Amino acid sequence: MEWIRVLLSHLAAVVRWRRLDADLDDELRTHIELAVAENIRSGMTAEQARTKALRAFGGMTQVRESYRMQRGLPGIGQFGRDVHFAIRQLRKSPGYSLTAILTLALGIGGVTTVFSVVNAVLLKPFSFRDPDRLVIIREVEKEALRTAPSIPVNYRHYLRLKHDAKTLEDAAIFQEPGFSVSPSGDRPQIVGGITASPNFLRVLGVQPILGRDFAESDAVKGAPPVVLLTYDAWRVFFQRDAKVIGRSLRLDGDRATVIGVLPPGVRFPKIELAPIIAGGPPLEKLIIRPLIPDPYFLKTDEGGFNFSVIARLKPNVSVEEAASELETLQRAYSASAHLPIHLGIAVTPLAKDVTSGISGALWLLLSAVGAVLLIACVNLANLQLARAVAAERETAVRAALGASKGRLVFARLAESLVLALSGGVAGVTLAFGGLRLLLALVPANVPRLNEVQVDLPVLLFATGLSIAAALLFGTLPALRSLRVHPQAALQSNSSRSVNSQEGRRTRNILVASQVACTVALLIVTSLILRSFSRLMQQDRGFDATHVTLAEVALFAPRYGDSKPNIAAVKLAFADRAMTGFGQLPGVQSVAITSAIPLSGETWVDDLTRPDHTVPPAQRPLINVRWINPEYLSTMQIPLMKGRNFAASDRANPYVALISERTAREGFPGENPIGRQMSNIVPDSQKSVTVIGIVPDTRINGLKDTADMVYLPYWAYTPWQITFLVRSSQPSSDLIPEMRRVVWSIDPQVAIPALKSMDAQLDESVSTERFQTIVLASFGTAALLLALLGVYGVQAYSVSLRRQEFGIRIALGSGRATLIRLALWQAAVPVLLGACTGLALAGFALRFIRSLLYQTPVLDPVAIGVSLLVLLCAAALAAIVPARRAASIDPMRALRIE
Amino acid sequence: MGDKSDVLQGTLDLMVLKTLESMGPLHGYGIARRIEQVSGDSLSLNQGTIYPALLRLEQRGWVKSEWGMSETNRRAKFYSLSRIGRKKIEEETENWERIASTMARFLAPSN
Repeated sequence: MEWIRVLLSHLAAVVRWRRLDADLDDELRTHIELAVAENIRSGMTAEQARTKALRAFGGMTQVRESYRMQRGLPGIGQFGRDVHFAIRQLRKSPGYSLTAILTLALGIGGVTTVFSVVNAVLLKPFSFRDPDRLVIIREVEKEALRTAPSIPVNYRHYLRLKHDAKTLEDAAIFQEPGFSVSPSGDRPQIVGGITASPNFLRVLGVQPILGRDFAESDAVKGAPPVVLLTYDAWRVFFQRDAKVIGRSLRLDGDRATVIGVLPPGVRFPKIELAPIIAGGPPLEKLIIRPLIPDPYFLKTDEGGFNFSVIARLKPNVSVEEAASELETLQRAYSASAHLPIHLGIAVTPLAKDVTSGISGALWLLLSAVGAVLLIACVNLANLQLARAVAAERETAVRAALGASKGRLVFARLAESLVLALSGGVAGVTLAFGGLRLLLALVPANVPRLNEVQVDLPVLLFATGLSIAAALLFGTLPALRSLRVHPQAALQSNSSRSVNSQEGRRTRNILVASQVACTVALLIVTSLILRSFSRLMQQDRGFDATHVTLAEVALFAPRYGDSKPNIAAVKLAFADRAMTGFGQLPGVQSVAITSAIPLSGETWVDDLTRPDHTVPPAQRPLINVRWINPEYLSTMQIPLMKGRNFAASDRANPYVALISERTAREGFPGENPIGRQMSNIVPDSQKSVTVIGIVPDTRINGLKDTADMVYLPYWAYTPWQITFLVRSSQPSSDLIPEMRRVVWSIDPQVAIPALKSMDAQLDESVSTERFQTIVLASFGTAALLLALLGVYGVQAYSVSLRRQEFGIRIALGSGRATLIRLALWQAAVPVLLGACTGLALAGFALRFIRSLLYQTPVLDPVAIGVSLLVLLCAAALAAIVPARRAASIDPMRALRIE
Repeated sequence: MGDKSDVLQGTLDLMVLKTLESMGPLHGYGIARRIEQVSGDSLSLNQGTIYPALLRLEQRGWVKSEWGMSETNRRAKFYSLSRIGRKKIEEETENWERIASTMARFLAPSN
């Protein structure tokens, strides 16, 4: 314990040194006075007494020094003095210091902000036990590999794999539905949830803090409905009631008993069913229910690929080992069960699976903002270099007085360190604000966003970053002081001209590297901009303006799938809602469809034809949508061939419209009109007849079209219906009216989505928009910094050549010649940097190819514009100081120094 | 002056502690004079060296200090033993005696 006390008193002394020095002086003065008084009492003269007292005391200065050494921290004193001196020097040029600190604050703040997102989304481990051993398992259908790299899991296959696999400790199967939750049953809200096999939490390694986990008996058909709450659900729905166990909640209209509450901080990331199949909206998962599989899923081997599976690897088993074992099991089963398809497996580590959609964009942003910081550091290195040259005489004096090399270097480095740490503190402050700005921009479907914050790892990162920045921009100027020869610097009356030549090379290298970074960043930015504008401006095949959409979920007991006449009940609801919407003011047409537009591919199925047997491998994958005749006019999709649905089809609704792509891929070389498609209407053996062809639209997402098959909702009405209303009234007016209409028909149905189609369009490209906006602002920042850098260096080099210019003017040189001279001096590093930047961009582009949409990485426009913008900016930055230098009065120039 | 010995590192600390034990609270000059008187002419002590020693003892918490007035009516720091210091005197004394006796055995004429 003693060392703590000693350390504390050392630390206290470092802070209070001024006061303690005064105390010591008092104490020593008293000592001498007491000694003098005693000596006088023994008969000495005042003079003798004082001399004797001082002699007995010993060296006053040495005592003071060793006292101070004992008091302070070893080395700290020296360090403190250097830092103190650096602060004094910086305060002498407040303009420079503020600019430097501000530049650094923006750079460090930017990097810290982006890093806090990267940290939470990509780096922070999940709050599950040994999350590294968790993997997501999907099946592979070898025949469909071309269109779907992997597909969701079939329940039977899951049971078999879980039983046979020796590399897996355990595996849980689950789905991620939305639940409609409401205390009373009316006007429910939709929350995210999971239905999972009872071992789900055990696989993850999570235990309830209240109540119990699921038991096998909870997942049996007819078992009383039970539910587990996450901590947040407990807070929101039960206000953290400690006696919540045994209370109930209305889920999809039915009562379910709460049996447990999960610990705070346990959050479930969104697991997509499969790469091409989009799940529901990114709702936070609040509720877990046991999964009770429908008997159909226990029987089928070729359908029912509807589930996600998460598994825990046995210790020391690699992902590859597990994948190869499961692959073997799948192949053996395909053969032994004589399946018409060939099964394989896809195993992905949990963390990688969750972040696969966003990690590329985030790393790109982090590199971009890192490049901005790098450019800022190079700027500062240049400025610090100029300061080091100006302080050369001081350095020479230090060296002449015997300062060691380390001391010389550190004395200069201290200044950079002070700047960087001040910038770091300001930057972290900025990061708090920046993070709010970034989170407002970031697409909501980025996983784990709710965990983003400026926490300890982020602060440590910012500190490390500041020190690294100081070393980056401070080392070069600091090392310069080693090359100062004391007598040369002291003799020369203009030390700056002595060193200007070699200083120039360093400055040019710095400018070139800065320009290189900027060019690379600009090229990447303009490519992303081009890609985004192409995405937004291409022909979509439909018109989103003036359309408002409402998704209605029929999750109430009266729509239960075991109810008799359920088809008629759903159909009646859809018809009443459409009539209601049609009576709202300004409404031109009302359509229905079975999936929210622009939310990815859903209801993906094989195209099968009764008249034309095709092996499974060659069947195109289609997206099925259930619509009404007004769908085409509401979305403004023209009919290309054949006819639209008509009211007369209602009695015999087994007709279909197909998209051009479906016609091309499903009916190659034929006229599809009049042809049949089978196995398409749920719970029906009837085939449907193609009656019309519509153009391809980008209705599932702006990036691609799909093979669409449209069927009338009279044949089948989905549980989740999307209504599309085209109206002359603005969506903001229509939205409350539409909500009123839905709940006047049935207050127990939920409305998961109610917004304008334009808003839906914006959300569907939120990732692209986010990376475009953020990159564009980083690119602009980089350009501005480069502009400043080129300007600063040019102004400085020109000022060094003032005398020379004066002589040239005096000898009759023209202004134009001088400007050309100065510009040429600036052009060399800029051009060199631009070429290096091109090479750098070529390297970076390999990583961003996947982020671009229909834009070649070697897009000449993007590259050309970036170069042009940079060269213009650099010319502008160089020409101002050049003009000033060329207009110098020769008499004044010659008198300088 | 050649036969006077310099103060061994660590010895001074014990001398200061013993002085405070026998004399009670004392200022730096008083401690220095007392050590000179006790050791007679056998020790050459620069009075100033007791100040770093006093600081060291204070940092360890063996000695505490208080500001007061000296006989000459000046601000002076008075040092006294702390509770830890009192305990440490025993330990340090034993320590020192052990070293002294060990040294004595080395220095005694061998038989």
